[in-house]
Amino acid sequence: MSFTQQKEDKEIEEALVKDFQAGNLEAYDKIAELYQQKIYALSFNLMRNQMDAQDVTQEVLLTLFRKIHTFQGKSAFSSWVYRITLNASYMKLRSKKKEPNISIDELLPSFNSAGFQQEKIQDWSENTESLLFTNETREVINKAVGLLPEKEKVVFLLRDVEGLSTEKVSEVLDLTIPAVKSRLHRARLFLRKKLSSYFEEYNSQKGET
Amino acid sequence: MICCKECIDLLYDYIEGSLDQNTSKSLEEHFEECPPCIAFLNTYKSTTTLCRDTLNQIEIPDEVRRTLQSFLKEHKEENK
Repeated sequence: MSFTQQKEDKEIEEALVKDFQAGNLEAYDKIAELYQQKIYALSFNLMRNQMDAQDVTQEVLLTLFRKIHTFQGKSAFSSWVYRITLNASYMKLRSKKKEPNISIDELLPSFNSAGFQQEKIQDWSENTESLLFTNETREVINKAVGLLPEKEKVVFLLRDVEGLSTEKVSEVLDLTIPAVKSRLHRARLFLRKKLSSYFEEYNSQKGET
Repeated sequence: MICCKECIDLLYDYIEGSLDQNTSKSLEEHFEECPPCIAFLNTYKSTTTLCRDTLNQIEIPDEVRRTLQSFLKEHKEENK
């Protein structure tokens, strides 16, 4: 998306928000249409459950409707929507039984005293093509993301999946830029490790046959 | 000379292109001498792409879309 396009989108959005704040219900419909996909996708990726994502999307759309007068435009409207979505998703998650978090540190790379990597690193990056859209790969990726601790997961979903800028993620989550970077890096290291086990096993099986 | 640990700590900024020239150069020198770190870099990048391509395919299912539409309609009527 070009810079001018982004700017135009932002202006259209700001106008819609103003219209809706002034009581125009058609503007609300357009806002709901613009955002429901984003709200649904983010909440689905956080909770991995269609019913829960539907509940959260309903709740967020309702909150936008009821609370629009409290939106003051200090941050971007989209940041406000993302925050409401995250809060609603966390409330929902809290009401459910939690799976025990695994420690991310155990899966980070390890080094010897000279600073060299201790494990053997295979480069499977060239061999993912044939596996990319199989259900099994999808399942492995979903599971790996599901295992990320919440702090890292949310940064990863907003930045790498939704494609928000680092600055925007820091606004939505009220984190410093270095904190966003560090969490994202840890999330990527964790996921890389998880995917490595899968692809390395696949490659070694392929080598045997 | 950069070691593997430093190399991996710098990966994020390297990919973003936000390292200063000198650091970036030392990192590339390390890559030239360290195939495992190249493999790490490639798979680190692939991980991001693979996860993004898998997870951003989430679309609202039709039945959910219909439920949302009628839900919003009801609420707007209540608030008229």
